[in-house]
Amino acid sequence: MNFAATLGLALPIGIGLAAIGSGIGLGFMGRGAMEAMGRQPEVLPKIQVAMIIGFGFIEALTIYAFVTMFILSGKIQ
Amino acid sequence: MSAAFAAIWLPANPNAAISLAAGQILSALNFFFLARLVKLFTGSARMEDRGTAESMRGKGLLLGGAKLAVVYGGAFAVTRWRGIEYLPLMLGLSMPLLAIFLKSIMLALPAGAAKFSRRATSTASPSRSQAKLAASILLVGALTLPLALLGPARAFANDPPAAATAAEAGHADGSAAATTAEAGQGEAAHGEEGKGESGEAHLPNWITIANDYAPNNPVVHWMHENEFLVFAWLAGAIFLILVKVVMKRSAPVPGHLQNAIEWIVESMEDVCGGMLGKHLPKYFPFIMAIFFYILFMNLIGIIPGFKSSTSNVDVTLALALVTFLSVQVSGMINLGPLGYLDHLAGSPRDVIGFCMLPVMIPVHVLGELVKPVSLSCRLFGNIFGEDTLIVVFVGVAAFCLKASLLALAVPPMAGITALFMLLQTLTAIVQALIFSLLTTVYLYMMIPHESHAHEEGGHAH
Repeated sequence: MNFAATLGLALPIGIGLAAIGSGIGLGFMGRGAMEAMGRQPEVLPKIQVAMIIGFGFIEALTIYAFVTMFILSGKIQ
Repeated sequence: MSAAFAAIWLPANPNAAISLAAGQILSALNFFFLARLVKLFTGSARMEDRGTAESMRGKGLLLGGAKLAVVYGGAFAVTRWRGIEYLPLMLGLSMPLLAIFLKSIMLALPAGAAKFSRRATSTASPSRSQAKLAASILLVGALTLPLALLGPARAFANDPPAAATAAEAGHADGSAAATTAEAGQGEAAHGEEGKGESGEAHLPNWITIANDYAPNNPVVHWMHENEFLVFAWLAGAIFLILVKVVMKRSAPVPGHLQNAIEWIVESMEDVCGGMLGKHLPKYFPFIMAIFFYILFMNLIGIIPGFKSSTSNVDVTLALALVTFLSVQVSGMINLGPLGYLDHLAGSPRDVIGFCMLPVMIPVHVLGELVKPVSLSCRLFGNIFGEDTLIVVFVGVAAFCLKASLLALAVPPMAGITALFMLLQTLTAIVQALIFSLLTTVYLYMMIPHESHAHEEGGHAH
């Protein structure tokens, strides 16, 4: 198995794994935020802002994998 | 605009231009017939006395038949023509869709804003937000400057002597010199990595068309080399003009546009004020300038023939470096030199804290350095990902057209593309929001915390 073939197999799998992790994280985050909103609707804007920032952080992990894929995908010949 | 788009392309690439025009006309006809049909049936439901149901049904059948014949027949005829180019045709098909879509956004935004801002406008005076907008204008100018210097640095990255002169020019500039130099270094480091992604397919935009038309014109060639820079300038210019117009026509009872912008500014003020407290007036113009600039750069990519400059790492890196420097400098000013070092050391207060010092300092410094990288990668990845998605979908639709039996699948594909453009709008807004909110969070970390706690207590009352 040469370098290009290894890369070609590893890149999609890596992105998939990153997406799974981010999905789980987003799920926990969304669940917590929704429960908090349901429990205390009066602080809804604050929770939303915190939720969006948190989403940004979690989502960034998948984006890193995505960027890595674009950097490395040029090496698959 | 779309007609001009096709016309400009005509001499350089006639087949593509005709395909584009054909796509536009077909799609426009499609919408025309659809609108007539919908009007016919809703009208018949409301006004029974105008005509009998039979004649309505007959008219509907006639219109539907005409629509099928003209639109799908036209699509089929177009696909039979040998010289056709599919990507421009798809672009043309999606253009009227986009015009309607953009119009609906334009209508929906002020309406929603008007609904939400009833409460806000009663508490805040219009002049305050105008002052903030004016400050934002200045800051956008300041933001564009490093970008403007970054672009040439990128162009010259392959040519070391030229790069040196570019760097000197950056130093001569004075105010933005530090930013530019650092950005230029990041640029040079990035130059090798960037090569790998050049094989990506892109939709044609104004500048590629101009380049097809006049490949030897140096100005056009420069614009083609630095298209991200040109579109970034364009976004800045649109923002400046928009705000200028809004400020000139500011009225006690705000119109649609003014209301929308004031709503955005005031809700952002609420959110950031919760974090920054009394430091808000100092940093708010900066945050808003970043927010609007990124927002316009993101949204400009939805218009056909334009491109989001934020789908380029260089642009987002420049933005993130500006943020990073301003956060560090404001931290030094707010905390004082000793306080800043204390912050970097993780604020040791006991023996264990001081023993951990050699570990904590590198960790915190790394944490600071990772911030611009994560900011720029997040923005770039999201916008670039959405753009690539749309290119892929247009490509799939073009493939369906090529296999002429599948041509009937093209209008649904155009619809799906439009749906993804809706998603792109959402991403554009959310990413601009996240970038500016994270800037706020980083600034908040650099504010002395005891005074902030006091301010929070006062704020709650």
